[in-house]
Amino acid sequence: MYLYIYDSFLSHQKFASLLAAIEQRVIDLDIKGKIARLSILKNTHELIRDAVRAGVTTVVAIGDDQTFAKIINIIAPLEVTFGIIPVDTKSKVARVLGVPPKELACDVLAARIVKKLDLGKINNYYFLSSAEISNAKVSITCGSYTLQPTTELNTVRICNVGWNKNSSASDPTDGILEAIITPSIQQWLTKKELAPTVLPFTKIRINSEVEGGAPILTDEQIILKTPADVEIAPHKLKVIVGTNRLFA
Amino acid sequence: MAMFANQGREGDASLGAETHIGPSVKMEGTFAGEGDVVIEGILVGQLSTKGDLRVGPQASIEAELRSKNATIAGKVKGNIAVTNSLKLAPTANVMGDIKALSLSVDDGAVINGKLTMSREKTSRENGTHEPTVDKPKLS
Repeated sequence: MYLYIYDSFLSHQKFASLLAAIEQRVIDLDIKGKIARLSILKNTHELIRDAVRAGVTTVVAIGDDQTFAKIINIIAPLEVTFGIIPVDTKSKVARVLGVPPKELACDVLAARIVKKLDLGKINNYYFLSSAEISNAKVSITCGSYTLQPTTELNTVRICNVGWNKNSSASDPTDGILEAIITPSIQQWLTKKELAPTVLPFTKIRINSEVEGGAPILTDEQIILKTPADVEIAPHKLKVIVGTNRLFA
Repeated sequence: MAMFANQGREGDASLGAETHIGPSVKMEGTFAGEGDVVIEGILVGQLSTKGDLRVGPQASIEAELRSKNATIAGKVKGNIAVTNSLKLAPTANVMGDIKALSLSVDDGAVINGKLTMSREKTSRENGTHEPTVDKPKLS
């Protein structure tokens, strides 16, 4: 049984024809299910948990990368399969998963190739793609050693599914996260980035000297501050993927 | 997500993927890994890996180093044990003992320490040996 979750921004009139096309395609492919529309008045956690209790086994998020990030964090601990329908061509998650935009994504859902993907976990928050700390003095402890940039300004990017400038291919099924530390120095009005440090890991702790903690931007949503424990949650999420996905 | 080689993994730092310590980063403590390691920054402590080690010309190391193969181009203060081959680039400066199966030293490299070479694996050595030289075979 499917649950289709429409993000709140899809209530705008300009998406009406797209949603109608998606709904028609879902009927044609015989993968129809319950539809839920997110709004500020609805508790997304409760909505999904109630649906799972009622027998939903597949949750499909319709929206953009922020929609997918929001839903993934809720369903990660649940025994459900996750699918996406991106409403535009900008979704990086869709590109990695090999899911085409708009109603074409319904064909991928119907084909139902399911892969178990790793998730990153910061304290108790799950993320699929990446987390980032910008312009902060940080230190990373991994088991019995510590990494400390010697520059004041650093960007630390924790990658599970990579599409940053250092990686062209990605594999969210290998049980490894990577910390990419890019130090930078201020030169007049510009910031010059220095050669990065790349650390593969399964568990680290990030500390910062910033008063009150440095903010961690996770899948484009600010959610946490340092100090933070970051670890891999291997094969945590069952996801419907396309044949054009960027991993095996 | 590993952006590098797909190898085995175990433990916190023992991942098979390549670890790259950049020039503006200091690593302190005990690192034990399985993949290749590149150090261009500062290392203090101990490092051992089942993969290869490369120390860049700007690197500054005060540590015991163990690896399969190693290429040293920077400054190392500490002992180096390599199970296969060790290559010292012209900019290498080693203050410590070296154990290796084979050694290549470029003109300009500096070594201050005891050199031990053996046909046996360095980890199985019982004592110090003189460098071995193959005798010409008589027909």
